[in-house]
Amino acid sequence: MRDFSYLRASSVEEARRAAAMPATMLLAGGTTLVDLAKCGVTEPERVVDISHLKGLDTIRVDAQGAYIGALAKMNRVAADAAIKSAFPAVSESLWQAASAQIRNMATIGGNLLQRTRCAYFRDPATFPACNKRVPGSGCSALEGVNRGHAVLGTSDDCIATYPGDLAVALIALEAVVHLGDRTVAIDDFFLLPGTTPQKEHAMQPGELITAITIPASPAARRSTYLKVRDRQSYEFAAASAAVGIEFEPDGETIRDIRIGLGGVATKPWRARAVEDALRGKAIEPDIIKSASRLAVEGAVAHGGNHYKIELAPRVVERAILKTGAMA
Amino acid sequence: MTNRTTIHLEINGQNQALEVEPRVTLLDALRDHLQLTGTKKGCDQGQCGACTVHVDGERVLACLTLAAQAEGRKITTVEGLSEPGGELHPVQAAFLDHDAFQCGYCTPGQIMSAVACIREGHAGSDDDIREYMSGNLCRCGAYPHIVEAIREAAKVMS
Amino acid sequence: MTIVDTKIKHGDASDGILGGRLSRIDGPAKITGSADYAMEHFPEGMVHAVIIDSTIASGRVLAIDAAAAEAYPGVLLVLTPDNAIAIKTATDWTGAPPPAVPFEPFAREITFNGQHIAAVIAETFEQATAAAALVKVTYDKTVPISTFDDPRAGEGYPIDMMTKEWGDAEAALATSPVRIKQEYRTPREYNVPIEPHGLIAQWTGDMLTLWEPSQWIDGMSRTYAEWFDIPFENVRMLSPYIGGGFGSKALPTRYGAVAAIAAKMLDRPVKLAITRPQTFTAFGGRPATRQTIALGATREGKLLSILHRGDNETSMNDVAVEPLGSVISIMYATPNFSSRQNLVPVNTVKPGALRAPGENPSAFGIECAIDELAYEVGIDPLDIRLLNYAEEDPSANKPWSTRRLREAYAAGADAFGWAKRNPRPRSMRDGKQLIGYGVAAGTYPVRRTPGEAMVRILSNGTIEVASSGIDMGQGTYTILAQTAAEAIGVPVETVMVKLGDSSLPRAPVAGGSQLANLMTGAVHKAALAARDELIGIAINHPNSPFRDLQANTLTIEAGRISSPRDTGAGIGIAEVMRRTGRDRIEALRNTLPEEHQNAKDHFRNFTTIATMKSPTEGDYSLHSWCVHFVEVRVDVDFGTVRVARMVSALDSGRLYNPKLAESQWKGGIIMGIGQALLEEGLVDDRYGRVMNNNLGDYLVPTNADIPDLKVISVGIPDTHASVLGGKAVGELAIVGVAPAIANAVYHATGVRVRNLPITLEKLI
Repeated sequence: MRDFSYLRASSVEEARRAAAMPATMLLAGGTTLVDLAKCGVTEPERVVDISHLKGLDTIRVDAQGAYIGALAKMNRVAADAAIKSAFPAVSESLWQAASAQIRNMATIGGNLLQRTRCAYFRDPATFPACNKRVPGSGCSALEGVNRGHAVLGTSDDCIATYPGDLAVALIALEAVVHLGDRTVAIDDFFLLPGTTPQKEHAMQPGELITAITIPASPAARRSTYLKVRDRQSYEFAAASAAVGIEFEPDGETIRDIRIGLGGVATKPWRARAVEDALRGKAIEPDIIKSASRLAVEGAVAHGGNHYKIELAPRVVERAILKTGAMA
Repeated sequence: MTNRTTIHLEINGQNQALEVEPRVTLLDALRDHLQLTGTKKGCDQGQCGACTVHVDGERVLACLTLAAQAEGRKITTVEGLSEPGGELHPVQAAFLDHDAFQCGYCTPGQIMSAVACIREGHAGSDDDIREYMSGNLCRCGAYPHIVEAIREAAKVMS
Repeated sequence: MTIVDTKIKHGDASDGILGGRLSRIDGPAKITGSADYAMEHFPEGMVHAVIIDSTIASGRVLAIDAAAAEAYPGVLLVLTPDNAIAIKTATDWTGAPPPAVPFEPFAREITFNGQHIAAVIAETFEQATAAAALVKVTYDKTVPISTFDDPRAGEGYPIDMMTKEWGDAEAALATSPVRIKQEYRTPREYNVPIEPHGLIAQWTGDMLTLWEPSQWIDGMSRTYAEWFDIPFENVRMLSPYIGGGFGSKALPTRYGAVAAIAAKMLDRPVKLAITRPQTFTAFGGRPATRQTIALGATREGKLLSILHRGDNETSMNDVAVEPLGSVISIMYATPNFSSRQNLVPVNTVKPGALRAPGENPSAFGIECAIDELAYEVGIDPLDIRLLNYAEEDPSANKPWSTRRLREAYAAGADAFGWAKRNPRPRSMRDGKQLIGYGVAAGTYPVRRTPGEAMVRILSNGTIEVASSGIDMGQGTYTILAQTAAEAIGVPVETVMVKLGDSSLPRAPVAGGSQLANLMTGAVHKAALAARDELIGIAINHPNSPFRDLQANTLTIEAGRISSPRDTGAGIGIAEVMRRTGRDRIEALRNTLPEEHQNAKDHFRNFTTIATMKSPTEGDYSLHSWCVHFVEVRVDVDFGTVRVARMVSALDSGRLYNPKLAESQWKGGIIMGIGQALLEEGLVDDRYGRVMNNNLGDYLVPTNADIPDLKVISVGIPDTHASVLGGKAVGELAIVGVAPAIANAVYHATGVRVRNLPITLEKLI
């Protein structure tokens, strides 16, 4: 790890000023920053610790929705009774992520900004070429070991999977990211790699996430997060789905449905085609199955990850059935 | 050597001052600088749980925590769980009784995690214990005995 | 049929102290954090080394630009092939004399990705790590042969000593009424003990002290001594605690030489910690294997022929054999048999030993194949195993010393509820979960090397046992205390055991599951000698209260000596020692045969594997046996496989401490679950690099992956196998787990997965 200077920000304003300086990184939980600094992926000259800032870890849930301060820890949000009740998919996405220890460290803001697990990205000493690290240098994953890589939202420059769970639930529930003065819809917050995979989100230099808000909705209240992986625990998703459903008063017809997909795309993925196909329909297995296939429209595999195209719709299908059956 | 700062850590109830570079992790500060080697380095990249310690009473990974970040927090390591030569913590005693370890290297992390797991209320069922202990890898394969030990210790502690 | 539960008294010596369920005596140190592992020492002036590895798999190092690293704060030395002091090549572990050429721990010619090429030594770990990243290496690259599936790898070369043949396998196969033929594969698998490798090396004059986790103190010490051309006695290696090894900490490594060279050149103690990613290339794990198995049988399922061909990957310049014929050649009776094996060199680190090398993949092949045959002829997978039961060793034509495999099948099947199985694949289901039951057997040989131990009776009546043998979690400390306590007749709490130090009496490698049997044998012998001497003093010394009694009438129990004439509680050992003026009784004994009781043979016995006896040397064939019954649940849509429960019945002979033996068995089973479902080194063919070289991507089981495991001991004492009746424990239980799971997955899904691991994409 390269040497750096360390300072603690005493206010959000100070943190933003620091974040605008070159080669400066903000440190919250540290689970991504310290990890990537050891890998040599990030080489900050200055690390500004924002983890001690007061007032940024509020969790508040009311009739309008949830307000979650950027420094709230994953475990606190996962365990929050009001979140569990009004946004079950959020709680479930959090407790199925990482490990109990990491969830005690990692913050909600940092969680959104976690970087891909692409092994080529994470090993600059061996693989100098990586368009995400060094724009224009190439991508080793396209024809490499890419079992975990994305099949949706990819480009010729990058197929790195967005690894997080929480953002998948947030995409489905149409959360809003607060960057101090301005807000960005979460779907706009994350960027497709395109020809600029180094740009992963819509933040400008000097900005930091201060909070996320999640609007309350019947679909949020009836929501689940389903995560499928090789190992039972402590692993990133092979494929995951967050689903929220609101039924018409008849209790059968789908009025509103929201679907987020994880583990298969370069950004937290909204499966709008599936949603469109199911609005106004009832939960019938055959309809759900065929609609779920639409989740991977346009998917492109690169060898080792072909199974994800088969797996993702099945995860969506199961998650819809599970959500529909919620009490 | 140009960039050392003095940090103050409260470890197992004792105040410690040490002069380290900001890039020194809490894990290396404990092991190399304070010679508190009960906390283990298994992967140094947040993937095994061997370095689990408590910071302000919550289990965290010392390998992904900068020592500087921990200034002002209360840190507990396995050395601080029971008095030297004194009575074992119920979790330690249960680990011994149930043979919940073999090589012993992941064990301090398992024990620190187990103490927190019980305190968090995540030891109510075997499935809960398994899930909430999954951040601590054990290659010797002591898992079933770890579950037994935590189940027993949880009874003693309640 | 008798099921021998470990809780049932055997009516033999195992009801005594040895054979009891004592908690491990090294436990208190481990649970309080006070056990000192190798990397937890702080010699004055210690500095830190970081190894730099090649990032190509094939080619040549053209230049190493160390200028930036050398200028980095705190850096003391950038060590390269050009400036490292020369050391000699050492004898290898077989005892073959070394060529008279220097040993170069750094490579100039690159044969695998991750090969050591330089090192940085600095005042702090952080400085060394950062400076290592500044070293620029330029290469002349060539295209690697990354795996044995690369057509350029060819067929490799045969290992003739692996060939086993009887009858005429090909002809018998051709005329068999039922024939099946399939290929079975296992990928590169890694040991990944949670304690990463590394060492601290310190020179004091020409004395070298090494704190290094070691499964073989004496063998590794010999290598260091020969490298640096110093007497064997000048090397002090300390390894009282080892954070797991599983085969990977038995042999000296190149980075070990680097640390000792750096320490000598700088005249400072050097700590060299291998990073977690480096644990995938600084030494090898299990090589990738492929086996073609053809079985010929009658329509009733009786085997007529087994034709077996196996390959394993090896490195470009080394012969690393994973003996694929080891289980297939002894598990079943067949009149015709042929097994041959090739090695295929590829650009990889030299493969190493990982829990049951050979037996593990060998069992995967035959135990899946026999299951396939059972379905082919339409009989129960358990019945086909009994139908083809080998009543004697079909390969060595010798009787088994003990083979309680029938008892294991019966006990395991009963406890598991095998009879409830619907034989039809994909017939059992619980909602979205397909349920499958599978069975497979395993075996591991009993290997034997003479051992040595010192047993002391101290003036205060306590006992000290000393050996350079090691405890990496198998329970050596505990069972040796139990052995000495029982042999002398003292409470086990009064026995202190010292291990893992080259200054103590010698021990051979803790590998091949041999250490427990050979060390209990040596300690038993030494303890009885010490006891004899104590009794001799008691009856002969003029000040002894027992003077003039017959030796064979004295007894020692619970640390007190008494004669039949006594009516009281006897006299404590300490009291007898005091009255007779003895401050200690000391017995150093080894179990070498009389003709090898000389310095040269003694040294060879403990520092090479040349004297290790094969399981068929002598009148019997000696093996441990086991069977695993597994229930898996396979998600019908996702293809995820979870082990729901397992029952294993095992014959390891007599168990010296069932509590600890059960832990080892379960540990092996859990590693087997990982092997079956998760573990696989993923190689990028273009770079010859293992891409998932960390614990987040090379997946081993978590707690949540493991259900309750039931283990049943069906063993009986086997004194042909060892002095005290034990057989192999540590490596036995992993053998057969992966095929049992693969067979259960077939039963659940109707899909036969013949290449491990059984990941979800193979089932959807």
